[in-house]
Amino acid sequence: MDTTRMKPVLEEEGELFTLQMGPQHPATHGVLKLDLELDGETVVRCRPVVGFLHRGVEKLAENMTYAQSMPLTDRLDYISAMANNVGHTVAVETLLGIEPPIRAKYIRTMVCEMSRISSHLLWLATHALDIGAMTVFLYCFREREWILDLFEELCGARLTTSYTRIGGVRQDVTGHFLESLLRFTDEFPEKVHEYETLIDTNRIWLDRTQGIGVLTAEEAVQLGLTGPSLRGSGVDYDIRKHRPYDAYPYLDFQVPLGTHGDVYDRYRCRMEEFHQSNHLIRQCIEKLPSGPILSEDAPDLVMDPRPKCVTADASLSAGLIKIIEERKHFMEGDVYVSTEVPKGELGFYFVSDGRGIPMRMHIRSPSYIHIGSLPALCEGGMISDVIANIGSLDVVLGECDR
Amino acid sequence: MAQVTRFKQRGWIGTILLLEIAKGMALTLKKLFSRSVTRQYPVERPSIALGFRGQHALVRNPDTGESLCVACMRCATVCPSKCIHITYHQDPETRKRIVDTYEIEALRCIYCGYCEEVCPVNAVVLTEVYEYASYDRPSVYYDKDRLLSNWDRFLGESGRDPKTYVNPFWRPRGADERTLPAKKRLPVPEEWTLEGQAKGIPLPVAASHGSHGGAH
Repeated sequence: MDTTRMKPVLEEEGELFTLQMGPQHPATHGVLKLDLELDGETVVRCRPVVGFLHRGVEKLAENMTYAQSMPLTDRLDYISAMANNVGHTVAVETLLGIEPPIRAKYIRTMVCEMSRISSHLLWLATHALDIGAMTVFLYCFREREWILDLFEELCGARLTTSYTRIGGVRQDVTGHFLESLLRFTDEFPEKVHEYETLIDTNRIWLDRTQGIGVLTAEEAVQLGLTGPSLRGSGVDYDIRKHRPYDAYPYLDFQVPLGTHGDVYDRYRCRMEEFHQSNHLIRQCIEKLPSGPILSEDAPDLVMDPRPKCVTADASLSAGLIKIIEERKHFMEGDVYVSTEVPKGELGFYFVSDGRGIPMRMHIRSPSYIHIGSLPALCEGGMISDVIANIGSLDVVLGECDR
Repeated sequence: MAQVTRFKQRGWIGTILLLEIAKGMALTLKKLFSRSVTRQYPVERPSIALGFRGQHALVRNPDTGESLCVACMRCATVCPSKCIHITYHQDPETRKRIVDTYEIEALRCIYCGYCEEVCPVNAVVLTEVYEYASYDRPSVYYDKDRLLSNWDRFLGESGRDPKTYVNPFWRPRGADERTLPAKKRLPVPEEWTLEGQAKGIPLPVAASHGSHGGAH
């Protein structure tokens, strides 16, 4: 045959090279394992293997009260814990029919956007590092450290924040915190400009990202992508806009959309979200209303599932500890509420049978669904682009395996 | 809905002269002469925020030298990781509960701070001490004496006055005083109360409206 020389040797012999990438591979952002079948350097088949970080969060939550399962959500997407806390709490509040006060809503929106910035910073740092840009990594961690210090001042922890509480938040903001945050938002656009100077037009970066991992809008929707990974393909879907929760309906922001649906567009979408989140935080600081931070209907932190026979008398409650009959909150039924976390759509599905602890908690985690789109992105491409594709989806295995 | 900007194709001058790479190099060169952000950790200590959730401690009553705990079991009930173990007996005469053992498994703890928030007498606290790594498990399985000595260590290291120290989880910032038990209504800074809470900061007009989208 005269075409023999054009074909790689392995394919001619009908053999493919199997490469087990991960779970210890540093560029897979955790413990993701990919079973790759290679023809030379071309990926013929890609099969993601997940579950190495499974801790059974959903099952654990079935033996806990709603308040107790909130700290577990810190450990889902551990680089944007605040957004997970808010997602869980919004879902529980919908189930229990509690409306948080307006100040708490603004504070939650503020910390959500802070965690979006810190998550995108970590994404940019590692994505760039995977592709070969070391400097951006160090610059991003400089700003991320700043946000984590602000979290520490607000709630006493840098990563596992456990900040929200059913019916509000646990700690009020201080004047010093707001001023530091305002100073951060003043300086942050400049820092984003620095990252852009380093990589935005860099020819190596462009070669590694433009035209790689292309997903059309239709494909992206079919694969169930959400968040910036979906918006990079030009689909206008953002829960903050389309099913607003907390203070998002009162704030002004735009949803950046890509056009080509490649790695570069997903990168550009997240870079624009830096500016939008920064803008949102500034609006929250400006409009922050006065008032309580915890709803009067909020259940006690010790959500004792056992029924109490004490009923509150409204005329007596002034000056006394308000005693509410806990059990009345635990209505039967189920609820699915999703929120926009930095990775995409994080949904919590609760089935309540009135016992005070969830009968079932299901988490729709964006990372799990995003990993499912890796075969579509990688197959037919080069092995070096697998890394760029994983990075552009921004997956966190703690959330995927949960 | 804003479209993101894509990089325009660079011209031939930029291609030959490596302009975009020169720009990046100029930035890193500039950073070479700016102030370092790295903290030389063991020598330079970070400043830990008030209310940091670190090593566990039982507050020592300055008058009696004993723990303040009344064995109400609220902390053990609320703990998501079930790391607090308390046993107690009831004094037959005064009917008061007396704590026999109070143990916290620091390795199970997830540092959520629920225990200090629900404690009605401010007996348990997560201190600002963060250096307590250990080579063996028994030394991070805290019994009552160890927890009390943790409190002494915290006071010694931080230099805080046990009479005026208020942890933000004992008396949450912005909490309604009326909803708190009597022992938790501590004197706090003005800013922590509902009346004196931090207000929004008005921004300069130019920055408060108009999107930053597409800024380069």
